[in-house]
Amino acid sequence: MKHFLRMLIQVCLYFYCKFLWRCMKFVMRKLTGRCELQRICYSTKPGASRTIKIETSLRDSKSKLLQTSVSVHPDAIEKTIDDIMELKNINPDINPQLGISLQACLLQIVGYRNLIADVEKLRREPYDSDNPQHEEMLLKLWQFLKPNTPLEARISKQWCEIGFQGDDPKTDFRGMGLLGLYNLRFFAERDATVAQQVLSDSLHPKCRDITKEEISKFSKAEWEKKRMDKAIGYSFAIVGINITDLAYNLLVSGALKTHFYNIAPEAPTLSHFQQTFCYLMHEFHKFWIEEDPMDIMEFNRVREKFRKRIIKQLQNPDMALCPHFAASEGLINM
Amino acid sequence: MSDLRITEAFLYMDYLCFRALCCKGPPPARPEYDLVCIGLTGSGKSSLLSKLCSESPENVVSTTGFSIKAVPFQNAILNVKELGGADNIRKYWSRYYQGSQGVIFVLDSASSEDDLETARNELHSALQHPQLCTLPFLILANHQDKPAARSVQEIKKYFELEPLARGKRWILQPSSLDDMDALKDSFSQLISLLEEKDLEAMRM
Repeated sequence: MKHFLRMLIQVCLYFYCKFLWRCMKFVMRKLTGRCELQRICYSTKPGASRTIKIETSLRDSKSKLLQTSVSVHPDAIEKTIDDIMELKNINPDINPQLGISLQACLLQIVGYRNLIADVEKLRREPYDSDNPQHEEMLLKLWQFLKPNTPLEARISKQWCEIGFQGDDPKTDFRGMGLLGLYNLRFFAERDATVAQQVLSDSLHPKCRDITKEEISKFSKAEWEKKRMDKAIGYSFAIVGINITDLAYNLLVSGALKTHFYNIAPEAPTLSHFQQTFCYLMHEFHKFWIEEDPMDIMEFNRVREKFRKRIIKQLQNPDMALCPHFAASEGLINM
Repeated sequence: MSDLRITEAFLYMDYLCFRALCCKGPPPARPEYDLVCIGLTGSGKSSLLSKLCSESPENVVSTTGFSIKAVPFQNAILNVKELGGADNIRKYWSRYYQGSQGVIFVLDSASSEDDLETARNELHSALQHPQLCTLPFLILANHQDKPAARSVQEIKKYFELEPLARGKRWILQPSSLDDMDALKDSFSQLISLLEEKDLEAMRM
């Protein structure tokens, strides 16, 4: 019964809000003499808040032209802007800034959608050991992470030293495909010092000292064994692939819009996505050490907590996750 | 709110009105069972469970640690604790056996000889573990769609299931992601075993 009432209330609220919102828009247009797009551009400074408001307004509009404008081809943006201005009876000579603002927003909106498509394409491509380019990338990954240790063979237990699960890393790329390998390699190459530090820490993480209550629970021998287990807990490459999964989900769900619309003045690209991955890897590593879990079995719990923290940060429309660090030479500061 | 949600809401309201008119109470709750799902890495545990929950198995990455999924069936809900199968995680498996009412063991029928041997050792340890030895086992010979997959007969012989698991309740079934009907059937058999065990426990 409770469930039924809740559903009923939700449905009524939805229709009420939709109707009310349309009335509000009509009233505001009559009062200010400007359409919603104009009001947003004039009252909000450039950045994620403006772009997100424009995107919502376009998507929920009754006009087909406005609804489809969020998914046009980047080359058709200028024409689309002209059509919109015509539809809303806005004179471009009197409002030159509006055209420029709308164009900037639309470029970001369309760019984000295209980035999702590009990332998805990479993700769907499985790792192929017969493809020489894939193999070369994998070997380069080893060289960047372990520059002083030669790899004995393509299939060897050495891969476990950088956190793969078996003799052949191929099977670990399932789910994220080539995207996982691209991200790991980008991290190892562009952010080499941080990547090697994270790798080294993951093999010897900080061991906390035994507390008073634990002294009574475990004997000294058991505690020593637990400390050793902790040192073998965290697998760099597998965690990297999991963080790629996290970044991918944030991108596809739209949570990364705040971040990209703030840091990329034009369309967000794959390079921005990879830089975001580097940031997330570094942050997750610090978070893992802060949480100080008993062993690797707590991974999913820690990962979920981390994901919630990032989502909360991204809810602030002025937020940019990573404006400053070594890999981000191409980024503009907020 | 999307259009899909609204349609769901209307359908559900219709269903509840119908039940109210026919003077029936709310639908009866299904019994729940706690299971543990083990197997080597890459055997297909996460993919199978995702597909059973109507999620896409495409995005599934290697399980690090463990994850819990509630898998709904027509006559029961299975709360499955799925444990990662990597070498460095297997040693923690026994920590999670407490409170389980059944075991699902997934193996890759097309894996190498070495991996198959490792799988056999793990299955034998599980069958003989004090917390699992009385529980029903569902053993899935997965990846049957691959050309190198060994048949169920070969797996039964290699794993020595007849002699070793004699007196225990177990089901060995072939499975692959392409054939969901066969998979659901295997799970129905497991649910029957779980129900039998419940009845026995009640009688005692």
